[in-house]
Amino acid sequence: MNFNTAAELAIVCWAIGSLLSLLANRTPALKLPAFLLSIAGTLIMTGFIAFYWSALDRPPLRTLGETRLWYAALIPLVGFLVEYRWKIGWLKYYCMALATFFLSINMLHPEVFDKTLMPALQSPWFIPHVVVYLVGYVLLAASSVTALHNVYLQVRKKENSTGESVSHFLALLGFVFLSFGLIFGALWAKEAWGHYWTWDPKETWAFLSWLAYLGYLHAFRYKIDRSKLQWYLALAFVVLLVCWFGVNYLPSAQNSVHTYTQS
Amino acid sequence: MVVVRRRWFQAPWEFRESALFTAVSVIAGFVIQAAASGQGIAMPHLPYNAIALLFLAVLVISTGLAFRNTPAVKWFGGIPLGLCLILAIAVLSLIGGIIPQQSAAKESLPTLLGLNQIFSSWPFAVTVLLFLANLGISLSWKLIPFKLQNLQFILFHAGFWIALSCAIFGSSDLQRLVVPINVGKANNLGYTMESDTPQQLPLSIFLHDFSLEEYPPQLLLYDPHNDKLMMNKAQAILEVRKGTTASWQGIEVLVLDYLPYALPGKDGVPQSADRKTGIPFAKVRIITPSSQRDAWISTGSPMLKPDAAQLDGFYLIMMPGTPKSFRSAVTIQDEKGHEKVANLEVNHPVSFMGWKLYQMGYDEKAGRWSKLSLIEMIHDPWLPAVYLGFFMIMAGNILFFWNGIKRTEVVK
Repeated sequence: MNFNTAAELAIVCWAIGSLLSLLANRTPALKLPAFLLSIAGTLIMTGFIAFYWSALDRPPLRTLGETRLWYAALIPLVGFLVEYRWKIGWLKYYCMALATFFLSINMLHPEVFDKTLMPALQSPWFIPHVVVYLVGYVLLAASSVTALHNVYLQVRKKENSTGESVSHFLALLGFVFLSFGLIFGALWAKEAWGHYWTWDPKETWAFLSWLAYLGYLHAFRYKIDRSKLQWYLALAFVVLLVCWFGVNYLPSAQNSVHTYTQS
Repeated sequence: MVVVRRRWFQAPWEFRESALFTAVSVIAGFVIQAAASGQGIAMPHLPYNAIALLFLAVLVISTGLAFRNTPAVKWFGGIPLGLCLILAIAVLSLIGGIIPQQSAAKESLPTLLGLNQIFSSWPFAVTVLLFLANLGISLSWKLIPFKLQNLQFILFHAGFWIALSCAIFGSSDLQRLVVPINVGKANNLGYTMESDTPQQLPLSIFLHDFSLEEYPPQLLLYDPHNDKLMMNKAQAILEVRKGTTASWQGIEVLVLDYLPYALPGKDGVPQSADRKTGIPFAKVRIITPSSQRDAWISTGSPMLKPDAAQLDGFYLIMMPGTPKSFRSAVTIQDEKGHEKVANLEVNHPVSFMGWKLYQMGYDEKAGRWSKLSLIEMIHDPWLPAVYLGFFMIMAGNILFFWNGIKRTEVVK
């Protein structure tokens, strides 16, 4: 299976799915085909990841481009979850657009097909550590987008308490996954490098992003004005972005064990 | 509606006072750091650090419980101060996340303020200590009287308190020693990262064998004029195997034969050899628009020069594969006669008498032929306590997740 074919197919599914979903506002009969097509896009990407995994003989989680494949498959799922759970439909369009964006980056910068995996990564912790983080980032990305949307609605002075609730619960769930990712990383580091915490730049930034959401949850508990916190949630994601790939460009990262392979 | 603004220091204290208090504490930390001329903190060893930690825990919990209605203590264990301290820790970590954490010139400003070793600096220590006090007091209120509905709070906050405090107070007892050993020899001396003077170990390690397995070698096209490796059409790392094909613009290559372990024969044709001495050889057919020829290429080794094939100003080369795994077969012995035979490998440390032994490295220049293995020995008596904290955080998080999933209604 060729990556470009799979990616194009998935994007087409998402595009037609989104279009039908928009039309379904007038023609409710289109709801089901719209949903099936949108989910098919994600299934295609999931299938491709499975295929790629077996072709590489290692989990495709080593390079930035490989993590983008996972995001492309997982992000739309959060959109569907939010629609199912909180009856908010617009988020899935953002999610599918973001997934399309990630796949486009990969199409423009083809990855080098490389089966090697350095010994430190050959661990049972590799998959849980990275996948838990992927899910956490996906939830927090969705939380951030929802918060931004909430800010927009505030500016237009529209009533929107469900939206604020959604950004909150997504942040809460995302925080749980971040915590697990951080601790799984610590437990793995003990086995691979001898100590659970060494203030490696990536660790420091992971800790910072964890603190950012820890701060949010406490501010929320303290009943700080909900509408101001939407700004906070929208911006907190910037810290995650630095942690995900920005770290590679920081002066502190010269000796990091965590920088993704550049290819 | 008239909004009455609270004046500074008017009870109950809130964010303004907390922010001021935190800022003053952090600045005080920097002042102490500068006054101590850039010296970090020396934490005492066991049992004194454990006694100090126990004292802190008792002090914090009893203060929280005894003065739970005193406004000052209420503020000290409250969310506003907690948030400000989280922010302070975040800002200090941000410094550590941007400025490289390594030794700098002695008289420079970063050294003086501890910016290049922020996580063992006074401002960080002061902030974390205050944070532990804040966290501990708020925990005491939820611990007594105990209610089941507070379980998630208790697990998460107590877990964080235990993990953080034990990691910090126990850092002085962490011992990390690197032991270099040559094949066929034993060593009972280790080195710390900070000094070149060897330390006597409580055990000795005998290295029977060091072995390294590589991924298959790679086929590459080198452009000497631009000092560049050319990417092939398939955008893949080309593992050399019998039948591997590759194409660059105008050049087709087919691997006709591949010998993973071989040595040059008398007539120039490589002959299979044993694993210890042999190196990878491949017979390749190179087809260009104007010509076709066969050639033997090899990766070379510290003892043998590599063979490349020249074509149209390029070189077809074979690069040794990257390390797939490496391991040391060792016998570990302590003074009391305990003995353990083990294989040390990355991600597979071995425990022995309170120490954990790790495969750390080898002579990278010699690669597969390295006769040297670097073993790291680690002793961390506080690890079980830190792990207890980790597992409590995870348990608290599972409950948090469960509640987060369950509550779907709009929060008012």
